[in-house]
Amino acid sequence: MTQMINAEMSASVWRVLVTPGTEVEADEPILILESMKMEIPVMSDGGRVVEIAVSQGEIVQSGQHLVTVDPS
Amino acid sequence: MTMNRQERIDVDAKKREAAMAMGGPAKLARRAEAGELNARERIAHLFDEGTFREMGLFATSQVPADKDSTPADGKVTGTGRIDGRLASAVAYDFTVKGASSSPVSNRKMQHMKDLALRSGFPVVYFSESTGVRMPDIMGGAGMGSMSDKVRFLRGRESPWVAAVFGFSFGSAAWHAVASDFSVFRKGSVMAVSSPKLVSMATAQQVDKEELGGWRIHGAQTGLVDMVVDTDAEAVAAIRRFLSYLPSNNQVAPPTAEVPKSSGAGMVDIESFVPESPSQVYDMRKVLAQIADKDSVFELKSLYAKNLTTALVRIGGKSVGVIANNPMFKGGAIDADACDKAVNMLVMCDSYNIPLLFLVDQPGFLVGLEAERQKIAGKVINWMNALSLVTVPKVTVMLRKNYGQAFVNMGGAETAHAVAAWWTSQVSFMDPRSGTQIVYGVTPESDPEAFERGYTEMARGTSAYDIASVYGVHEVIDPADTRDFIIDALDVHHLGRTNGIGEHLLRHWPTSF
Repeated sequence: MTQMINAEMSASVWRVLVTPGTEVEADEPILILESMKMEIPVMSDGGRVVEIAVSQGEIVQSGQHLVTVDPS
Repeated sequence: MTMNRQERIDVDAKKREAAMAMGGPAKLARRAEAGELNARERIAHLFDEGTFREMGLFATSQVPADKDSTPADGKVTGTGRIDGRLASAVAYDFTVKGASSSPVSNRKMQHMKDLALRSGFPVVYFSESTGVRMPDIMGGAGMGSMSDKVRFLRGRESPWVAAVFGFSFGSAAWHAVASDFSVFRKGSVMAVSSPKLVSMATAQQVDKEELGGWRIHGAQTGLVDMVVDTDAEAVAAIRRFLSYLPSNNQVAPPTAEVPKSSGAGMVDIESFVPESPSQVYDMRKVLAQIADKDSVFELKSLYAKNLTTALVRIGGKSVGVIANNPMFKGGAIDADACDKAVNMLVMCDSYNIPLLFLVDQPGFLVGLEAERQKIAGKVINWMNALSLVTVPKVTVMLRKNYGQAFVNMGGAETAHAVAAWWTSQVSFMDPRSGTQIVYGVTPESDPEAFERGYTEMARGTSAYDIASVYGVHEVIDPADTRDFIIDALDVHHLGRTNGIGEHLLRHWPTSF
């Protein structure tokens, strides 16, 4: 089942680590949010990244859609 | 008519067989096919073999038409032993009129509670019920005949524990949410009333999983402490939970042998924690090293993951852990995490279980959402509870420790034994934030001015600085953490009362 990953808290997008189409392992960081001075990795259950809905430097709200991953 | 002994034995055996038949073979077979245990099988899994003594086997509905179709009146009740210790149990038998509640079955349940209170042992609920039974409880006379004066008076004299199976509405839900520990079997639905009734009452079409499924109660409401896949796992979780607790609040928790190789990972403990305070790690991996081998029993693992709570053993003793987990939300403490922490304080204080705080947090999670969720009220609720705790409290600061959350996490003389890892950094806020606020510069706007300001703001924030005013009792090598805790549990043991606290939190609400 396609995995939709949303922001767990309000944050800024500090770094985007992969591009759509990339295969990622379970618990491999896809992007890193910055909030409360913490670098908070966004991870999936593993698969192919089909969409990255945000870009570096963007401010995201809690619950906002970040990444879509198709399990491989 | 007189009967001889053999005739009496035969009559009794027949009556017993009928009472043991539950809702009949067809219903029982359907459950078995679905992979679910029935009420009597659940009881058999719970108690040590041959120790169950049933009370109320011959109870039935008092509605004449239902007398023969209500064996045990839908609730199997009695006492038995769990790892040799007594407990009473109420197993809702869903195959008998949906385990609905009637005056007789309510009397049985009340007896189990009274017994447990008077004799000082736990009550186990196997919840699965449609709610009240009609016509047994109906109309003014039905409602007016109920006696609920002390039904939900929780004084936490002895533990209540519950497993939620199948549909749990009405009292099946009440007992689960009022318990000290509740485990939820996937596929169950816990709610005030059924999806059908909700749909009728509110013209809302509701899905049962959305109304009260495992995701709702495991991750959103936090009303249950654990989610499992099978009935047998649920019963095993209850047995395990009780192994950490005393039978009642007037005795100390049981101790266990310390498994060999416990603490073996302590030499490498620093490798679990990145040096940069901005980087995350999973605190549960650190906890697994500190605790006795395989003794971590995590509670509410799907709810407020940014704060880990667990029962563990350290040096063979039961300990309640409240730990920040930087892996989630960077370890920032939000409203749900506050509720989770208070829950743990209340349980540990009520049952003489010492508390351990493992601290690595960037502060309370501030923002619009937090304020709307009453974070200010919850921070102080936590402080009120923390100040009422009388069991030993041990604090270990690992890395960063900022703001009011420093106090809530067992700082500022709120704990009895306090150590800081030599890597700790303590201040009113992250020095990087402090620099931005006090000097009005960011690393991007003016790198040099930021660096100067940062040097100023970071001054005096080390473990040795807080130790210089006796704000911590010891600065420790992280590898010594387990030994520090074992010694602290000895030194701060409540010797005058054999480990029994004052239980000032025992009347705290069961949900808040």
